[in-house]
Amino acid sequence: MKKRNLSIKIISRILIFCIGLGTIIFSIYYYYTRAAIQESTRENAVILAENTINQIEEVIEPAEKLPENLAWIIETGVIPKDSLQYFLAQLVKNNPAIYASAIAFEPHIFSENTPAYAPYAFRNGARINTIDLWSPDYNYFIMDWYQIPAILQQPYWSEPYYDEGGAEALLSTYSVPFFMSKEGQQVLGGIITIDISLDWLTEIVNSVKIFDTGYAFLLSRNGVYVTHPNHSQIMNESIFTQAKEMEQPEMREIGRNMIKGQSNLTSLNLKDKGKVWIYYAPIQSTKWSLGVVYPHNEMFESLQNLNIIILLLAFAGLGLLLFFTIKIINQQISPLAKFADSARTIAEGNFNTRLPNAGNSKEMKELHDSFEFMQKELDNYIVNLKETTSAKEKIESELRIAKEIQMGMIPRIFPPFPNLKEIDLFASLESAKEVGGDLYDFFLLDEEHLCFAIGDVSGKGIPASLFMAVTRTLLRSVADNKKSTAEIVGSINKTLSFNNESNMFVTFFLGILEITTGRLRFCNAGHNPPILIKNKTEANFFNITKGIPVGLFEDFNYSEEVVQIEAGDQLFLYTDGLTEAEDKNNKLFEDNHLLDIIRQYAESVPKEIIEKVTKEVSLHVNGHIQSDDLTMMSIIYYGTKK
Amino acid sequence: MTKINLYRYVIITGLICLFNLLKLNAQEKITFIPQWLPQAQFAGYYAALDQGFYSEAGLELTIIHPLANISSFEYLKNGKADVVSAFLMDGIKQREKGTPLVNIAQLSQHSALMMVVKKESGINQIRDLHHKKLGIWSSGFDDIPLAFMNENNYEIKLIRILNTVNLFLMNGVDAQAVMYYNEYDQIINSGINEDELNTFFFADYGFDIPEDGLYCLEETLVNKREVLKKFISATFKGWDYVTRNKDYAIDLVVEEMNKAHLPNNTAHQRWMLDKILELMKPGKKNVKKGHLLEQDYYRALSVFGSIKPDYCKQILHLENFHQPLLNE
Repeated sequence: MKKRNLSIKIISRILIFCIGLGTIIFSIYYYYTRAAIQESTRENAVILAENTINQIEEVIEPAEKLPENLAWIIETGVIPKDSLQYFLAQLVKNNPAIYASAIAFEPHIFSENTPAYAPYAFRNGARINTIDLWSPDYNYFIMDWYQIPAILQQPYWSEPYYDEGGAEALLSTYSVPFFMSKEGQQVLGGIITIDISLDWLTEIVNSVKIFDTGYAFLLSRNGVYVTHPNHSQIMNESIFTQAKEMEQPEMREIGRNMIKGQSNLTSLNLKDKGKVWIYYAPIQSTKWSLGVVYPHNEMFESLQNLNIIILLLAFAGLGLLLFFTIKIINQQISPLAKFADSARTIAEGNFNTRLPNAGNSKEMKELHDSFEFMQKELDNYIVNLKETTSAKEKIESELRIAKEIQMGMIPRIFPPFPNLKEIDLFASLESAKEVGGDLYDFFLLDEEHLCFAIGDVSGKGIPASLFMAVTRTLLRSVADNKKSTAEIVGSINKTLSFNNESNMFVTFFLGILEITTGRLRFCNAGHNPPILIKNKTEANFFNITKGIPVGLFEDFNYSEEVVQIEAGDQLFLYTDGLTEAEDKNNKLFEDNHLLDIIRQYAESVPKEIIEKVTKEVSLHVNGHIQSDDLTMMSIIYYGTKK
Repeated sequence: MTKINLYRYVIITGLICLFNLLKLNAQEKITFIPQWLPQAQFAGYYAALDQGFYSEAGLELTIIHPLANISSFEYLKNGKADVVSAFLMDGIKQREKGTPLVNIAQLSQHSALMMVVKKESGINQIRDLHHKKLGIWSSGFDDIPLAFMNENNYEIKLIRILNTVNLFLMNGVDAQAVMYYNEYDQIINSGINEDELNTFFFADYGFDIPEDGLYCLEETLVNKREVLKKFISATFKGWDYVTRNKDYAIDLVVEEMNKAHLPNNTAHQRWMLDKILELMKPGKKNVKKGHLLEQDYYRALSVFGSIKPDYCKQILHLENFHQPLLNE
């Protein structure tokens, strides 16, 4: 499961990154390619339009020269007036581009008594006919071809017109005014015209094709379609009427710019065809305008196809990438699952389980080595552990035996002297470790003298226990009724101090109670002062003496002290394991606390008092580890009269 | 087939033929000549003919459009037309010339005549036209502009133009007299925006003189009164139909124009139809359909009188000039 999640995590991140990167790259590519296509199409459209315009100008410009030259000839008066018709006929005959030509005179210019005269030569099949245009029904003075150049006194290309009943073709008339000298003044002489057929022009413009449906069209000065792929529009519609019918004001604006002689590339959203691009440029001579239209979607059609291919390839690539990534990742991380299984097997204790093949990745090899190392270490550790455990068990069993021996050395039968009614005695010793350095002892020196002692060896454990055993043995061997307690302690001190290289010592309290009198002689060698309970009510510590622990200075002189014990008095002896018992906050049991408890149970017999104190101590430490041996001994003196 | 059945068959067939013959003979022939070439101005007549309103009324109508340079009255005079349409001013002028014609229906109730100038010319008020050049039709429609100049003492140089707006577009004249329903839209359709033009409607200067009306000779009115009544009635029915079916009317107009090989486009014809229908509404004038308001008639006479004061003196009574036949 984990393996699956990890691979999905890695793959999904790779996928997101790849898609993101791909989208960015594709967007940039798409943007620049579009821009490039648009630019190149624009250039093509411009070139196409310019070429078309040049082709048109190539016909228009020489045609314009004819009436302009004729005007000059007439102005100079070199042609006899009566041969004008013949001259015109020849002009038309010799210029196939020209359908007809006229020289229309202002009133009384041709001659004083001619109000109007307009010789006109025109093609009639293969022949050239000449007539006078003027008739009462044909007042040429108000015709555009005459009136406009006459009033503006400049050449004029008429709006194209279909010459029905004559040329049966689309014509445009180029009119050039000429001037005559009359009464010393230059006055308008009339208008010279040529009519040229625009069939050639339609052909040139119609030959423009861009993409599938792109085309060119020509607008007259008034915005009327002179050529258009839709023939019904020609001479019927203007770009403005079309814009109005289609309710496309932008189209009208384009038309306005066109007839103003501007050139531009612009886009237009046609309601029927969608977005189209239009480049327009003027034909300077005629003031007409050529427009080249190409649909937007066709411009990018090749790009769209390419995009589809690229997208398909990208998806295929992504699919392959996904497939191989999954395969590789699964292959690479598959040992992980096996390692996990191995770890589980090892954890179950099978350290020698066979590790999976790590493959050839460095990381997996490292993992494999770590596992192998762990296996070896665990194995070694377990071997060591077994050895240590058995050694420890051995030591523990020896210590147990040592403890039994040690405990065997101290008297543990209570009451110890059932026949001796004057005294009762109870003692307990709890070692912090298997064997301890505390000791107590009591024995009768003779029928009237009870010798008792309590001690605490510095340190703990086996060394202390050995020192304790030596001390106890020494006590037993040197204790004698004839010696004072100071002598006995001094003797023990001498022996212990001798060759005491380990510098161990023992605090020691030795007392000899004269059973018949209650006189107690004692020697305290640095031990905690015992408590004397008087009359089962008062309890007080013994006075502190100047004795130092035994085993330190060989020649130290211990002194003996004597105290009178009355019947009913009780002695309570203890080691510092009691007063220095710590709770978990390292708070000591304290001397005063001990004294309070002793006072509280002052009426109790030795066994009870020791049990009560033991209970209080265990309450105080409250489960905290016992850090020192704890030894208590209590002796009650009943006196001889009991 | 038995003999009896055969006779029966022959008799029935004969009766049917006789009925059809009589019915055909019952169709009165009538020729109508509008004052101009086919365009939306005459949509009502085309619709009435196409919808069979004339034949339903027992008329066999022929519409003949005049040649561009010949007045419709010429056809009336030489008997080629029973009814013609013409402007009120032209009707009065023709009457003045002695043609015994009668206005039998007035269609237009308002004037569409106006002057346009380019704003760039700096002519913002009508008095700015003083000493300027005004392009105007060579074929007429100049009575109102002339009367306007006379009444206001403006001197405007008139440049006679055949029928295009090209000279105006090329700034060959400062102003151009146009019909709102026709040449005005032609200017717009040549790429000049409405906000680039200043317009002066003669109607706004006291010359709201009705235009299109139907005329016949007094003689025809006497001889064919019932036929003319039917014609007028069917004609107005045609116009009512057009009002409700504009797209259909435009198609008819375009068809007529194509037949006459005239350049055409629906945008312009739609504009024209809308404006023509607008002119036929009485507006603020309290006038019955097909009638000529007395004030309008006398206003027209006064316009004419300002040009021809002699004529003004022998004022023709409205009853003599105008005999409305609709709902008579």
